[in-house]
Amino acid sequence: MTRHRALIAAGVVAACLMVPLVIHKDYQLSILFRIFLFAGLGLAWNLVGGYAGQLSLGHAAFFGIGAYGLSAFHDRLHLPVGLALVLGVLTAVGAAVLIGRVAFRLRGPYFALATIAFAEVLRLSAKNLQSITGGDVGIEVPGLFGGDPGRWFYWASVGFAALAFAITALITRARFGYSLLAIREDEDTALACGIDTTRTKLYALVISAALTALGGALWASLYLYIVPDQVLAIDISNEIAIVAMLGGAGTLLGPIVGAVLLETASELFKNVFKEAHLVIYGVLIVIVVLFMPEGIVGTVTERWRHRPKHGTKPGTKHETKP
Amino acid sequence: MTALLRLDHVSKRFGGLRATNDVSLEVRSGETLFIVGPNGAGKTTLFNLISGFLAPDAGVIEFSGRALAARPHIAARLGIGRTFQIVKPLRNLTVLENVMLGAFLHTRRSSEAAARAREVLAFLQMEAVADLPASGLPLATLKRLEIARALATRPKLILLDEVVAGLPTSEALALAALLQRLPEWGVAAVAGVEHVMQVVMKIAHRVIVLDRGALIAEGKPADVVRRPEVIEAYLGAKYKDVIG
Repeated sequence: MTRHRALIAAGVVAACLMVPLVIHKDYQLSILFRIFLFAGLGLAWNLVGGYAGQLSLGHAAFFGIGAYGLSAFHDRLHLPVGLALVLGVLTAVGAAVLIGRVAFRLRGPYFALATIAFAEVLRLSAKNLQSITGGDVGIEVPGLFGGDPGRWFYWASVGFAALAFAITALITRARFGYSLLAIREDEDTALACGIDTTRTKLYALVISAALTALGGALWASLYLYIVPDQVLAIDISNEIAIVAMLGGAGTLLGPIVGAVLLETASELFKNVFKEAHLVIYGVLIVIVVLFMPEGIVGTVTERWRHRPKHGTKPGTKHETKP
Repeated sequence: MTALLRLDHVSKRFGGLRATNDVSLEVRSGETLFIVGPNGAGKTTLFNLISGFLAPDAGVIEFSGRALAARPHIAARLGIGRTFQIVKPLRNLTVLENVMLGAFLHTRRSSEAAARAREVLAFLQMEAVADLPASGLPLATLKRLEIARALATRPKLILLDEVVAGLPTSEALALAALLQRLPEWGVAAVAGVEHVMQVVMKIAHRVIVLDRGALIAEGKPADVVRRPEVIEAYLGAKYKDVIG
């Protein structure tokens, strides 16, 4: 990103932060909270699933660890809220190292299956480890913000999305970002270029997991009470992945576009479809994978590059690359 | 001449197939060595062993006096650059970015990597396609891209796996002329696998012939092609007396 692009990004963040001056209703702010939260989560997923091309369908694991970390470290061990939040994120990092070591031995669909299995194992464990998680009865989550929580949660979600965006923007311009792309495009070529592909994928997963755990803690703290079937559900994994894939996996703006579309749509239609959203997620995954593998942003930039007129300058502006 | 690369009784099996059968050889600093042999002779397997993509079942591979483990990214870092016979470009990246990935082995900075990549592309006469996506390029260009990416890693030894095969003769000879200039880029030794004998005869200092995984002949290009065992391997036993 050039300096003026960074300024534009800073301006957009500032504008987003001022929204509560106009919108006062907690209900509306909570919808916006969800949009920004999932934009951040989609960006976090994108590092592994988009840039590095390792399709994770188990990010609920990190989301849930962040949520349970915050509540369990605070409620069970009586640690201060801030420390509990940090320990939750660190636990997710540990889990990422563990799952990465195992799952990155697998390629393609086997990797995706391993991530689903990992999240499911965590969900079932959480249901049974009542002394830590409260099992199906659930556990209280400490509030991260006092005063006017609706606004604070909104601001926190904007900050979270901005953080994920900034980290992604920095990575895509650095050698690390190129290494991730090389791994996605051809792992053998990446190796022949001297890239330690195992380690590079692991680093990406660790960063992704830490951000996802932060998002999970934020979400849990808004609802104040969590159960395993909520924060460790496969729904969460799917939603995170779809946000990024719909908007454009491997693009910087894709997860943001995806979050706006998906979260707005699910809010508008939630009374119409009720539990049918699972079916809709499934259908969306199929449609995106079959007809728009590059997502909305990927497809639009591709069209833009190949537009007629103006001596074509392909390759200079496409978003799939750093 | 000192040995840059040394293979000592190296073997590799795939099930019942002896892809590499007790091969010992050296690649010396300053030389261009070509490995030839009929299809299925184990030439690419040999390159995969040297560049760490395969682990030998038996034997030792030494590079600059150090035993190599079967870790391809380590081999690349030690100075073994390679191309792939079946080209493996990073299709969604531009040609420049493909080559930058090689250059990133020696710098963290994107600007330095891009500068290095442009130099290499200029040498290979590929500036015109630098900003095009690698997908959709003709095979001849992709073969050059393989060389460019390998060269950008600043290899001491470069392994060229059939980089001229499939090119029209004029282009093959033009590329061969460029390959003779690789030492200008700090490449100490070139090892190639090639079927195009015209190119092999022109630029090889030494030729090794493989047949069914085993080394059957070694020597100067002009001598090697006359040996009866080589003619037999290529054409069958009944020809060895006719031509020899």
